[in-house]
Amino acid sequence: MKILIDDLEVEVTHGETILTSARKAGIHIPTLCYHEAFEGQGRCRLCLVEVDCRGVKQVVTSCTYPVTEEITVRTSTPGIEKMRKNIVMLLYKQASASTILHDMYLEYGCSENSLSDNPEEKCMVCNLCVLACEEMGSSAISLIMRGTEKRAATPYDEASEVCLGCGACAAICPTQAIEVIERDGYRIIWNKKFTLLKCQHCGRSFATEEQLAYIDSKGKYADPDSLICLNCRRKMTAEKIGIFT
Amino acid sequence: MAEEAAHTEGGIRGIIQAYPREKRFILPLMQDIQKEYNYLPREALLTIANHVGVPFSKVYSMATFYKAFSLTPKGRYNIRVCDGTACHIKNSAVLIDQIYNNLGIKPGETTGDGMFSLETVNCLGACAIAPVVMVNEMVHPKVSSSGILDVIKRYKGGSDDAN
Repeated sequence: MKILIDDLEVEVTHGETILTSARKAGIHIPTLCYHEAFEGQGRCRLCLVEVDCRGVKQVVTSCTYPVTEEITVRTSTPGIEKMRKNIVMLLYKQASASTILHDMYLEYGCSENSLSDNPEEKCMVCNLCVLACEEMGSSAISLIMRGTEKRAATPYDEASEVCLGCGACAAICPTQAIEVIERDGYRIIWNKKFTLLKCQHCGRSFATEEQLAYIDSKGKYADPDSLICLNCRRKMTAEKIGIFT
Repeated sequence: MAEEAAHTEGGIRGIIQAYPREKRFILPLMQDIQKEYNYLPREALLTIANHVGVPFSKVYSMATFYKAFSLTPKGRYNIRVCDGTACHIKNSAVLIDQIYNNLGIKPGETTGDGMFSLETVNCLGACAIAPVVMVNEMVHPKVSSSGILDVIKRYKGGSDDAN
């Protein structure tokens, strides 16, 4: 079916979200808590758009709104922009130490108000790290507490038995809120210390022991190249098929 | 002490094994354990997670989400001061201060001797008798700033007839 997004006719499959349809058509809708690997969460509220469905207008989060009938979408009306500005302001106030949120705060022209900053905080509780951890198969972290105290953490803030130290949580975090310390062949993340393994080819640290053991436990066959990093593997494959000769 | 711990462990397992191994029983399980031990011991959360086949982090997330659950042992007498709108206007904050002055505990804390713990609740549904204080299951209506001291005194003896 066809829908109108900002006066542009866009072909959409039934049930697809407004956000993915818009992105396919090259229309930009800002997001923070959205990642292609997962379904929309509707947490950050930044992707708000105005939907006109048979004359009834409503404001919805485009990342969670499935298109099931012909609608008209506006991604940037004065009303939407005002709401987005407010959302950016609130997100910044919640996680004031985040550079991306600070940049957005300035970009959206938010003005100072009586709400106080949270100068130590980088996390805006978007839940992407939790989803990433779940997808990796460990579920070492979750959102704990409630309301203003809500945050991502391991149970009791202790080193988790199931954490692999893979760093998927830190890699996906839109505000770089998860601390990863790497030095002397170790990685410290979520209060747990991991020994890093070195690539047999280039000698760079590339994975934790736990990560490789986990991968081994999942696979049916032993991987003879398990101690070679992704970069070197790519190079080796490229050489094999003669791309760089 | 070790005997007590073993007893607790057995008790927890008994409660948990009475439920089918399904996710939807996580909350009832936690409620039963909270009722029996006045808090959710770490072991209990781990056992629940194993029992229903859910990651420990998810069970912990649920346990910290609901105010009805406590992760630290509660005192013998759990004082709940209502801080809903009506009670708040009727000076419930003063009662909390008075309890702090008298017992040295803030909301969420327990006295060193394990006798009293304090928490605030958002509404006990008894606004007509505001400010309301509950000690375990006993409701104390219209508690004044000096009245709260009398309430504490009654329980301090440790006798359950205070109820």
